Amino acid sequence: MSARNLGTELDLSWISKIQVNQPAVLRRAEQIQARRVVKKEWQAAWLLKAVTFIDLTTLSGDDTSSNVQRLCYKAKYPIREDLLKALNVHDKGLTTAAVCVYPARVCDAVKALKAAGSTIPVASVATGFPAGQTHLKTRLEEIRLAVEDGATEIDVVINRTLVLTGQWEGSDFIKTSTGKETVNATFPVAIVMLRAIRDFFWKTGNKIGFKPAGGIRSAKDSLAWLSLIKEELGDEWLTPELFRIGASTLLSDIERQIYHHVTGRYAAYHDLPMS
Amino acid sequence: MAATHAQRSTREIFTTLEYGPVPESHACALAWLDTQDRHLGHYVNGKWLKPERRNSVPCRDPITGENLASCPQAQAEDVAAAVEAARTAWENWSGLPGASRAQYLTRLAKMIQKHQRLLWTLESLVTGRAVREVRDRDIPLAQQLLQCHAVQAYTQEETLAGWEPMGVIGLILSPTFSFLEMMWRICPALAVGCTVVVLVPPGSPTPLLLAQLAGELGSFPGILNMINGPASLGPILASQPGVQKVTFCGAVEGGLRLLIQESVWDETMRRLRERMARLRGGRGLDGAVDMGARGAAAHDLAQRYVREAQSQGAQVFQAGDVPSVSPFFPPTLVSDLPPASPCTQAEVPWPVVVASPFRTAKEALAVANGTPRGGSASVWSERPGQALELGYGLRVGTVWINAHGLRHPEVPIGGCKESGSSWHGGPDGLYEYLRPSGTPARLPSLSENLNYDTFGLAVPLTLPSGPEIGPSPAAPYGLFIGGRFQAPGARSSRCIQDSKGNLHAYVAEGGAKDIRGAVEAAHQAAPGWVTRPPGARASLLWALASALERREPALASALERHGVELKTAKVEVELSVRRLRAWGARAQAQGHVLQVAELRGPVLRLREPLGVLAIVCPDEWPLLAFASLLAAALAHGNTVVLVPSGVCPIPALEVCQDMATLLPAGLVNVVTGDRDHLTRCLALHQDVQALWYFGSAQGSQFVEWASAGNLKPVWVNRGHPRAWDQEAQGAGPELGLRAARTKALWLPMGD
Repeated sequence: MSARNLGTELDLSWISKIQVNQPAVLRRAEQIQARRVVKKEWQAAWLLKAVTFIDLTTLSGDDTSSNVQRLCYKAKYPIREDLLKALNVHDKGLTTAAVCVYPARVCDAVKALKAAGSTIPVASVATGFPAGQTHLKTRLEEIRLAVEDGATEIDVVINRTLVLTGQWEGSDFIKTSTGKETVNATFPVAIVMLRAIRDFFWKTGNKIGFKPAGGIRSAKDSLAWLSLIKEELGDEWLTPELFRIGASTLLSDIERQIYHHVTGRYAAYHDLPMS
Repeated sequence: MAATHAQRSTREIFTTLEYGPVPESHACALAWLDTQDRHLGHYVNGKWLKPERRNSVPCRDPITGENLASCPQAQAEDVAAAVEAARTAWENWSGLPGASRAQYLTRLAKMIQKHQRLLWTLESLVTGRAVREVRDRDIPLAQQLLQCHAVQAYTQEETLAGWEPMGVIGLILSPTFSFLEMMWRICPALAVGCTVVVLVPPGSPTPLLLAQLAGELGSFPGILNMINGPASLGPILASQPGVQKVTFCGAVEGGLRLLIQESVWDETMRRLRERMARLRGGRGLDGAVDMGARGAAAHDLAQRYVREAQSQGAQVFQAGDVPSVSPFFPPTLVSDLPPASPCTQAEVPWPVVVASPFRTAKEALAVANGTPRGGSASVWSERPGQALELGYGLRVGTVWINAHGLRHPEVPIGGCKESGSSWHGGPDGLYEYLRPSGTPARLPSLSENLNYDTFGLAVPLTLPSGPEIGPSPAAPYGLFIGGRFQAPGARSSRCIQDSKGNLHAYVAEGGAKDIRGAVEAAHQAAPGWVTRPPGARASLLWALASALERREPALASALERHGVELKTAKVEVELSVRRLRAWGARAQAQGHVLQVAELRGPVLRLREPLGVLAIVCPDEWPLLAFASLLAAALAHGNTVVLVPSGVCPIPALEVCQDMATLLPAGLVNVVTGDRDHLTRCLALHQDVQALWYFGSAQGSQFVEWASAGNLKPVWVNRGHPRAWDQEAQGAGPELGLRAARTKALWLPMGD
């Protein structure tokens, strides 16, 4: 991530002045999904683009080096080569934006990617993920260790106790949630966050990135997220530097849709390599 | 440009990440037109009617200009055939139990559901409107309307006892009508037992399809008939025997006026431009466009307006991904329009928005209310108190707070001023097609002899005529205007004779200037009276009732002089007292809260005063009719200008003496004089906001004609006397309905 939020004087009046018209937000969320559909070549191109925004993620208690290795390989080769050839995009170097793992698995991921000859960044969740209810000292140490292991991006769980008492923190990227909550990335919430990003940009000129995570499973969902960004922030935000989708199973559905677009058939489970 | 999607490769789109076309196939619409060999007809009595030798009008795709089909242009005999079919169907339809009509409407709703794709593609194809608008909003709402009115029909016997269906309803659609607006009118009419003849502008096949779907249900052909023809056939439709009412269905939403407070002007305009730039326009049948096109005429209208505004120094901002050829027109934001420019007064065409700044909420309200239109408005504010205040103050039919364009079948929509005074949806919409049981049907024959130019123009001269054997003490003399008795502008009088032909008294001869003064006084009193809580209005009406009671001997004797038996006269006074008390009591309970599915938060159904209401009282029951009408009007918050009974105005003038001391000045104004002349002055007065007329058939006809000038709501009796002493006619719900208008105030909630 190249762009950096250089920060600004904390002006809490920006936050206290914010008003959200909930019914209007809900309506807008519905509209974008219904009115910004893409079909055929457009759909295929958008889906391929969506792949480049994915933080291919595994955050399970039973992650081991073998499934992390498989994940990294999938990140490097997200869509079957013959499908990419059919669409004439095989020379675009299509990969996911990053792989995202627990701190303890960063080492495995870095090693696997290196072996695959890839420069895909490794992102690590950190700071007592997903609750964030650990001491500041251990949280900082966790980040330090992950970076030492080779993680170049850290998804920090902010201290929500501080937020709920009005003490905010700054960041380069904001994420809808950890992805481990009961409700995760929803459109209405995203609209509010995107408007905040836009306001901040208008006020300071700093571009903050956005990462929805959790529950984004279907190719159709990913298209809707792309149009949402396009509508609310514009094309300049549609780059991996400013937009990521945190997902684990989304990629395989996208691949299935691409398969269908190219062959006209729905893929069998064994037609596509697992991640 | 959204329209110029050259063949793009996935590889290119991968880089540009642009939107592509999402064409909705309209094959089914074309196939349907083919079933009629592309020659549509009228749809009458459950069958296609294709008379020989009619001019035919093409139905075109407004975007490509392609000729899709042809429609016959109706002649008078086609209209007569349709009305005859509707009249025959009415005999059966109106007599059915509500439950049977409910069942039919439910079946029609199902029928629409089954053929929804055909409906939405056809509608989008021929109107050019964005298909998502028709598909996601109009068609589902049309179904809901039918279902909701099925429920109303089901409970009709219970909730609408005392009312009966009017008969055949003529519906005239404007050339830019919307399918949905038509449904808002057809559904309640059919639900209550009326039958309908629709005059469809040539080249609009969707209503024909609806009629066919209804016809194919088999039972009850003839309740819904469609005739293709221009609005100029309207008078022929209106004059057919059996047609009881003609309603008009206006255009789909036009352009908008936006008032923005100076303190947030820059910020709001920035966001507005940002959002406009993301709008997509194109062929309506593209599923991913926000706005379609409405034909070349609409394009030219918008272009003329924008050019005119530009030449007057306005700033014009156009943006969005819209093809740059006619009939497409980009969303346009006009600002800095000089206040005196003609564009400021003119109606804003679609898709133009005119933004102007204001300083205070009070100023915004004055500007918003200072237009002849009164359909709907939305208020956007972070301060709920201020938003509500504005919502109550706006003189429009519908107000949305922090939302726009929400509709629901159970929430009445309507308007005031030139947006029309009829109501659609909810219980309010049903009364449009009902009349109190026992009231006579409308006769189609208008008097040809009535000369609108001369009716009531001249005032007959009155000379002294014999000895005055007046009441003792003498009846008050003068016009009761602004809370006191004043000499008439003409400085002349008219004599009132008693039943024996003796001179009873002289009363002032009021004229145009006196009416002007009375209307002014009523306007001045209006703000104070409207804001008075219902309880305070009630207590004043009760105080007036007590005063009337005390004055009983004088009133009874005045009535007696006019040939009323003393016993009956006493009953009349007693009933008048009761009416004042009854309406006082009813002042307390007005309006209610609706809870609408899909919306969190309430919709307030408010009953608001009409404003300055002019009432020409009947000659019969000179005191009782006066008191009944006055009480209903005041209880609903109106201020009034009354013309009392022509033959016996004395009791009304007697009551004025009490009103002078009890009521705020100008709340009630009573003008005596020549009834035709005063009626003329009132009907032609643009600032009289509603007019009730009880008199001759000719007078009624004149009132309806003259009131079209400002489209004030009118209530006329067409020369039929009412039984004022009967509860139903003298104090029934009809008076309450007529005395106020409905406003729907939407309050979506959420944090």
